[in-house]
Amino acid sequence: MSLITTRALSKSYGSVVALDDLDLELEPGVIGLVGANGAGKSTLIKILLGLIQASSGSAEMFGLDVATQGLEVRQRIGYMPEHDCLPLEISATEFVGHMAQVNGLPRGAARERTAETLRHVGLFEERYREMKGYSTGMRQRVKLAQALVHDPQLMLLDEPTNGLDPAGRDEMLDLIGRIGTEFGISILMSSHLLSEIERVCEHLVLVEGGRLVRSDTLSTFTGRTGTVTVEVDGEIGGLAAYLRERGFEPSHGSHELELDVGDDAAFDAIRDGAASLGLGLVRVERGRRHIEDLFRDEETSGV
Amino acid sequence: MSEPAGSSIYDLGYRRYEGERIGRKGTLFTLYVHGLRSAFGLGRKASAKIFPIGLAIIAMIPAIVQLGVGAIVSGVDQHVELIKHDDYFEFIRIILVLFCAAVAPELVGRDQRNRTLSLYFSRAVSRVDYTLAKFAALVTAMLFLTLVPQLVLFIGNGLADDDLSGYVSDNGDKLLPIVAASLLLSGVIAAVGLVIAAYLPRRAYATAAIVGLAILTTAVANIILETAESAVTRYVVLVSPILWEGLTRWLFGVEPSPGSGAATADLNGWLYLATTLVAILVSLAVTHRRFVKVTT
Repeated sequence: MSLITTRALSKSYGSVVALDDLDLELEPGVIGLVGANGAGKSTLIKILLGLIQASSGSAEMFGLDVATQGLEVRQRIGYMPEHDCLPLEISATEFVGHMAQVNGLPRGAARERTAETLRHVGLFEERYREMKGYSTGMRQRVKLAQALVHDPQLMLLDEPTNGLDPAGRDEMLDLIGRIGTEFGISILMSSHLLSEIERVCEHLVLVEGGRLVRSDTLSTFTGRTGTVTVEVDGEIGGLAAYLRERGFEPSHGSHELELDVGDDAAFDAIRDGAASLGLGLVRVERGRRHIEDLFRDEETSGV
Repeated sequence: MSEPAGSSIYDLGYRRYEGERIGRKGTLFTLYVHGLRSAFGLGRKASAKIFPIGLAIIAMIPAIVQLGVGAIVSGVDQHVELIKHDDYFEFIRIILVLFCAAVAPELVGRDQRNRTLSLYFSRAVSRVDYTLAKFAALVTAMLFLTLVPQLVLFIGNGLADDDLSGYVSDNGDKLLPIVAASLLLSGVIAAVGLVIAAYLPRRAYATAAIVGLAILTTAVANIILETAESAVTRYVVLVSPILWEGLTRWLFGVEPSPGSGAATADLNGWLYLATTLVAILVSLAVTHRRFVKVTT
């Protein structure tokens, strides 16, 4: 069964078109929703949630219409908004427990799952304290926990890494990745940063100016670009020669080289080569530049 | 997480929830209980409890005074009725207003300020459910200041009487007006308080507006009654707290005390009742509209 289906979905505010004739068909999995600010990501999420009504067209989740069977749909999803949404004067335990019950869990089960979920997102002793004193990272975790506590089938995460420092960003992405893969919960996550989507998502939806640019699995986006860029803190030529001896075909500039990687063997060779030549690896980056190039191409040609 | 202890706890597997899920009723009840708890500041720090619980205690004082006086003089005289049931709400009118002004913003303003509404409305919570649950919570909270003291007074008077069962059978007819007046008064105060608080998310504004409205309408109604009393202008009491007095006296089947606004206006009791019900319904509808329109 398809997870999310939209047909000719449009939303306009006066003369401003936020969503324009959007057709989507998404299967369960971890889905990234990418676009610049104002591309229509939040509008799409809010229509799916029933927070706003579409101007025309229809949207379904789990085969249920979000406009007419909204309550039924919304029992099965969790939502993490982009903006602040926490009642700061109560504790995380109190709040997440309340949200669990709002989502239909009986009291005892709500309490149990609240404790478990807060552990999963990495909140420990502090969960009994007023949220007023929480850091941005802790607040984001609570926002994630309240979307997860009732064991939904799908979580809609709107810019989940917003406002986080690089370390917090990494931890949040790891968590989201785990929820998608280990916990087996589908995720639709919006971001304006491709690198984030690339890290955790299996499927990518690209929107621009309210229109769908492309919806495909991540591997088809990156399929042709199975390359890795390597930068070292010394002479790159030595490493390139080392790799060539082992049957790889790197192309290199003055400071970095690019290499087609089929499997882990290439990474092993890069590591061993750098080690034996006494070079420090500054950067080993997989395909990222390419997907962003692709993104730019799609943007200019697709709209 | 930064603390190393965290990583090991992370490894606990995720468990799916296969248990029972309560439907709309459960959600409504949850919102109702949460509202009632936050009305009295439960689950929050002590300072959030002081005002609502303090006011609830103050609202009890007339009943306690009556019971104390009754107990002291009961041996001497037959019965001293310092504070009667139909007087009670007049004694605590300002307490009721203050309580509503303190609690209503807590119930419907806070979710807007914290932007929690988008979490509720993206769940299986409809705008109607939300409005009704908040209203029910506030009415219940108000009952602690209306019905509870009245019942304490009733039972206390009965215990002070030589013959409790005789007292109850003699005065049992008071129970219906006690319950009806408590419910209707709590309902109308809660509904009007909610609609104001829903449109004024800033707490201070909402509190000031609720107290201000009660004081202002009372003053204006009294001035109009005194200076320009006519067949038409006396209806002004319907949009002021004098309505509460008129309704209560009528429900108890007693005349308003001479000189009071309700006595001067001298309106039909059914009109008080109808106005009260209409005020509740209109306020709820307008409150609901706010939650439909508000951007979450």
